[in-house]
Amino acid sequence: MSARADDGANPVEPILRLANVESAYGPVKAIRGVSLAVPPGSIVTVLGANGAGKTTILKTISGILDPQKGSVLYRGEAIQGRDPAWIVRRGICHVPEGREVFPLLSVHDNLLMGAYTRPDRDEVMHDLEAVHAYFPVLMQRSAQEAGKLSGGQQQMLAISRALMGRPELMLLDEPSLGLSPKLMREIFGIIVRINRERGTTILLVEQNAAAALGVADYGYVLEVGRIVMEDSCARLREKEDVKEFYLGMKAAGVRGTRRWKKRKTWR
Amino acid sequence: MTMLWDLSRIYTRTEVVVPGETLPEMFWNAVRARGDAVALRQKELGVWSSLTWRQLGEIAREVGMGLIALGFEPGERASILSNTVREWLFADLGILGAGGVSNGIYPTDAAAQVEYLLRDSDSKYLFVEDEEQLDKALEARERLPGLRRIFVADTKGLRGFADAQVMSLQDLRALGREHHLKHPSLWEERLRSRSPEDLAILIYTSGTTGPPKGAMLSHRNLVYVLRGYNLCIAQDERDERMCFLPLSHVAERLGGAYFALYTGTKLNFVENPDTVPENVREIAPTVFIAVPRVWEKFYSAVQIAIAEATPLERWAYRRAIELGHRVAERVVSGRPVPALLKLRYRLARLLVLDNLRRLIGIHRCRFLVTGAAPISPDLVRWYLALGVPMLEVWGQTECGGAATVMPAAGIRPGSIGTAAPYNEVKVSPEGELLVRGTSVFMGYLNQPEKTAEALRDGWLHTGDVGTVDGDGYYTITDRMKDIIITAGGKNITPSEIENQLKFSPYVTDAVVIGDQRPYLTCLVMIDQDNVEKFAQDHDVPFSNYASLCRAREVRDLIAGEIDRVNKRFARVEQVKKFRLIERKLDAEDEELTPTMKLKRKLVNRKYADLIESMYREPG
Repeated sequence: MSARADDGANPVEPILRLANVESAYGPVKAIRGVSLAVPPGSIVTVLGANGAGKTTILKTISGILDPQKGSVLYRGEAIQGRDPAWIVRRGICHVPEGREVFPLLSVHDNLLMGAYTRPDRDEVMHDLEAVHAYFPVLMQRSAQEAGKLSGGQQQMLAISRALMGRPELMLLDEPSLGLSPKLMREIFGIIVRINRERGTTILLVEQNAAAALGVADYGYVLEVGRIVMEDSCARLREKEDVKEFYLGMKAAGVRGTRRWKKRKTWR
Repeated sequence: MTMLWDLSRIYTRTEVVVPGETLPEMFWNAVRARGDAVALRQKELGVWSSLTWRQLGEIAREVGMGLIALGFEPGERASILSNTVREWLFADLGILGAGGVSNGIYPTDAAAQVEYLLRDSDSKYLFVEDEEQLDKALEARERLPGLRRIFVADTKGLRGFADAQVMSLQDLRALGREHHLKHPSLWEERLRSRSPEDLAILIYTSGTTGPPKGAMLSHRNLVYVLRGYNLCIAQDERDERMCFLPLSHVAERLGGAYFALYTGTKLNFVENPDTVPENVREIAPTVFIAVPRVWEKFYSAVQIAIAEATPLERWAYRRAIELGHRVAERVVSGRPVPALLKLRYRLARLLVLDNLRRLIGIHRCRFLVTGAAPISPDLVRWYLALGVPMLEVWGQTECGGAATVMPAAGIRPGSIGTAAPYNEVKVSPEGELLVRGTSVFMGYLNQPEKTAEALRDGWLHTGDVGTVDGDGYYTITDRMKDIIITAGGKNITPSEIENQLKFSPYVTDAVVIGDQRPYLTCLVMIDQDNVEKFAQDHDVPFSNYASLCRAREVRDLIAGEIDRVNKRFARVEQVKKFRLIERKLDAEDEELTPTMKLKRKLVNRKYADLIESMYREPG
């Protein structure tokens, strides 16, 4: 029989492709066969609840974790199991969950740490200006110890530090974590700007589905280590299961309230 | 360790175990006789709690008296909309004890179907499991003027909810207790209000065409068939069984729950449909009745476990199951098993096969019963090779569940066994199987034409086409309506091909198409677990179910399975093309029967475009 054209396929070669990736922490398999593609210049999001394996995916891409199986292709080259430092130099910067800035270094030094792999001083200074333009507050706090910034400012710093590496692909792990709605909107606005203005491809992992679906082009839903759904974000937002389980919207029902959960069908 | 060649643990009982000519009479005699023995268990919040016969009787009386206090009259109907939990039985026994007619509704039915069934059955009362099921009833009730009250068993999430028509099962029971104190003799009167000829229960059968039909079974039908089951495969108070299939289906209602009430077998209710695999291992039932889908799932799980095992373990499995097949083959063909083979098989059981039985949870099973849908003979042979007799029964709701039973002393995989001793079976000149006996139902509710179609000259026309051999073994070839006549004029029985396909671990179900067509084609529903495993093992990227179905390697895999099956058939009977159903179907989808099989007619209609595509492009 003739295979039908894969309607999820893209004419452009993806910048990043994961195929059948399995990663584990000891005996506990955190992702059980994940395949996904990130087209260049796009924002792709992976949604999932706590423990779904979102962070594991990012760690596997950036080389912090070696997969037991499967391949990670970056620009067509297999990068799974390589050293994280080598992967960073290839243009992949990971913004870890919970900010993880260097608390005792100044904001300025934190930013320079992001550019550690780059020899071009002028370009680096140029990027520093660009970062300051995105987040003016970081310029004001330039000399302050990063540990003394507020949570939102630390998140800004973490993103900026990654930007200083001039990544082609930025891996963002839950940038909305612990932020006020206002601050979150601000940060997501800048993520979109970075993508549009600098052409940085972004793989965004989020629990806050509403925010992620608002900025991303394409999305995957991850449940207990497996992808159960993928589609454009516009279409994902209309899916019944996404609405009920990720966007907290549900038909009110006859009684006006309902406690029971539908069965997930993921279609 | 009993062996396949030793049938001492399968026996028959000809005496009436518990007297009583109506179901409530029988049940109350059982309560008196068994008193403080355990009647049922239910797992709740991770703990198994049991109920004695006396307690079960009291609860049934509370429910029944509560209904009577609210004005329930003998002969009136009430419905139950719930998963298989013990409250299902409480409601059922309460309704029947009060002289009512009880009807079950599938918990997976949508609100519109619930409405249809409540209206068609003219239900005055409805028992619902929980908030979720309640919502369906509330959606429908405006259009159901006959419905007086709704009772909710599990009131979680309803604290702030008050409605004059809705009452908790707790409150109903309290009302019943009170009413019983005031009218102590009323319950006994009600228990005697029904005669054997009266309608006892309704079981709606999912019609592949048109709305479901309510099959009417009388008390006589029920009591007669329960006594009849004991003539074939008897069970008793020492047995344990798991109650898990939908109770709105004849298999669990009669073959499971009612048969247990009659024989005293302990009923173990599982937590929910998803926990069945764990619960089987905990319960370790001694008798097990299930539909082919369940047996296929267990088989699949074992295949996965084997695939992940070490090379040594895989080798041991292959050797052991091969020995098992050799023993099974001899037992099935009635030849003695040589002593050396017995010895080797004992070793295989000890080292390998008993572990597999324990992995599934059937290590204590005296026998397995399969029915309600066709099963692959190869699957039956596999269970035989494990050392557990698997007995196929055939029948339908309209004849009380089973009309033919596989004799334990002469198992023939692929056959449905011989006529049960309590009814007659014959093949009509057209090839249709007919059943006659006291177990044959009263007719379809509100559908005299359909009843007249089914009951002609005292014989139930089952719609199944089959043959009988010289020893009285029947074999089903297909449903009367399903026979395919290709454009070339060749008569083909699709289920033969489908059953072979379903034995593949990668195929859950298949529908063969080809009526009035130049060649046969097939729609396949893949087995998600096994195909995902295949994809992972062979580095086939996929994300969700649909993308799994679209992967070329997966299609090639299924094509390979079809080729394998094709080899067993003549050219005109071979499947030329196929498509995978890319939608992941579950119990709530109309495409599936309650036994989780694809509905042929519906699939043909729903996937018409997909089917057409197989005939459009050049062969």
